[in-house]
Amino acid sequence: MATVEMVGIRKAFGSSVALEDFTVRIRSGELVCLLGPSGCGKTTALRILAGLEKADGGRVSVEGLDISDDPPERRRFGMVFQDYSLFPNMTARQNIEFGLKVQKKDAAERRSIVDRMIDVTRLQAHADKYPHQMSGGQRQRVALARAIATAPRVLLLDEPLSALDAQVRETLRDEIRRLQLDIGVTTVFVTHDQHEALAIADRVGVMSNGRLEQLAPPRELYERPANSFVASFIGTVNQLPAIALQSDRWQVLNRTVIGNEAGTAGTEGIVAVRPEHIALDGSDTGLWTIESTSFLGPMTRLVVTQPGHHPLLVDLASSEAVAFPVGSRVQVRLRDDVGQVTVLTAAPIASRMSS
Amino acid sequence: MSKNAAPPADVPRHARWRSVRPASVVTSAFLVIVALYFLVPMLAMARFAFQNVPMALLTPEKLLEGWSFSGLWTALSDPGIISATKTSVLLVVFAIALNLALLLPLAIITEVHNPRLRPVLSAVTLLPWVIPPIALVVGVAATFRAAVPWFLASDFSLVPFYALWAMPFTYRALDAGLQAISARTLYEAARTMGASLTTIIARVIIPNIGAAIAAASALTAAMVLGEFAFASLLLKTTLPTEMVNYQRGDPRGGLALALIVMILTALALGLVVRSLRRRGLTVHTAGM
Repeated sequence: MATVEMVGIRKAFGSSVALEDFTVRIRSGELVCLLGPSGCGKTTALRILAGLEKADGGRVSVEGLDISDDPPERRRFGMVFQDYSLFPNMTARQNIEFGLKVQKKDAAERRSIVDRMIDVTRLQAHADKYPHQMSGGQRQRVALARAIATAPRVLLLDEPLSALDAQVRETLRDEIRRLQLDIGVTTVFVTHDQHEALAIADRVGVMSNGRLEQLAPPRELYERPANSFVASFIGTVNQLPAIALQSDRWQVLNRTVIGNEAGTAGTEGIVAVRPEHIALDGSDTGLWTIESTSFLGPMTRLVVTQPGHHPLLVDLASSEAVAFPVGSRVQVRLRDDVGQVTVLTAAPIASRMSS
Repeated sequence: MSKNAAPPADVPRHARWRSVRPASVVTSAFLVIVALYFLVPMLAMARFAFQNVPMALLTPEKLLEGWSFSGLWTALSDPGIISATKTSVLLVVFAIALNLALLLPLAIITEVHNPRLRPVLSAVTLLPWVIPPIALVVGVAATFRAAVPWFLASDFSLVPFYALWAMPFTYRALDAGLQAISARTLYEAARTMGASLTTIIARVIIPNIGAAIAAASALTAAMVLGEFAFASLLLKTTLPTEMVNYQRGDPRGGLALALIVMILTALALGLVVRSLRRRGLTVHTAGM
């Protein structure tokens, strides 16, 4: 268990900048997901943390001690790779034992640790199999057991589930989280899958173009995205026109709500509104028309249109949605429980360009 | 990935047959032509070497007459051939050892530390083929004669030449092996577990590229057993030069010997390729 800090990390590969002033502080025992589209620098950040890549600038420290110049073999971290990277010439047991042998633990201790790892990752039936005799999920469990066997200070996971089937992915995701909570190891998990990140992380760091856009608990990230990138990257948003009022108040549809940014009073901006934050009222004189509906189980997603406007996505409880067949006319409003919205564009485009 | 994947069951038998046919006819015809190109001269060689019939009488009708291995036995019991064989076998062993001692660490460290240098190494290892043997021999001989005159006197002065000459094969075989096991990620994984470079090379990388090492060694062996130019230019008595020498006095025995050496080398290479294929399959699936 350890606190981890990456401060002002900069890294460029040739002329392309992978990380720019990247700073993240991770608490002891916390699971932080680094989430972002491919090429956003999340894997580079993890590899710099592991010591497999050297930063051009900035500092990496664990428990307050600067480890920027330590090679990976001295950092006492555990790492799991996307392609498992198990040693093909060793059985599951021998793979798990490898790090313990390197640490020169005696045979009895190695045996007891390996047995415990095999138990917690439920690999009893596969302990003496070689990697090529195991499925992807089993292999990745071996890789996980191998990474935590040496009692690492920090556990690093580089897209550990990306090579697996959807079902295995979800099971293993939950197993990783359970195990991480059990042993309380500080963990950094890199993924491009937002569902994965939101499901298991204590905090999620959303990255784009080598920068950390926001680092926050999943719920806060979803409900109060810090900027337009995070708002549109996490979940789905509608971009609605809004009028700026005094200070940080904005008029959106029928209501006045707080925006995360203030606009010039009286000018128009654009705010992000989640599909589930819009309510519909059936009305023959409504300006909006239900164009299509798709049933998603508990929820139904409706596409609502009005000539001259962008189509709106609206998520309703399926029981509620039956009241709005395709072609019916409706009025749209913001739900009463929506208190805050994210401002995507605070000022009209024209005035932005002149300023 | 699976080598015995069944064809889809819903495809009618005749449809499968038709779709395969044109390509397979061309392939078979090509294979037959290539086989004839190699087999006809070899059969002629075999008849000359192993049939106790005067050459003018080696007609198609007498195909089965007077076969005998006496020429081969005489050749094999020739003291010159025996000592040249010993020299060549030792040359094979030393050339493989020197070659691997140089290239194995070089290939591994390039792959795990500086993969960007791979194309450079790949080009450099091709140089021995670009430089003709005569240039190598004259250049190297002139250098050594001035510096360490005793060196070129030994038969084993051929070892560095052979190790160098085999580099293009060896490096490619080793590099392919390292790529197949994703040596770089294995190295990184082992490093995060605290292992040193030597531990990683000895316990993780080398055990997983056994097939590539075997291939590199087999190719070196085949090359050394057939190499004539260096040995002849440096006036050394190796199996190939001694066979040419022996053939002057006993054409039948010499040819019989040449044929047997060729067949044995081909068989040995074939065995290595087979074992590679078996190993290659497991290595491949394990790397996925």
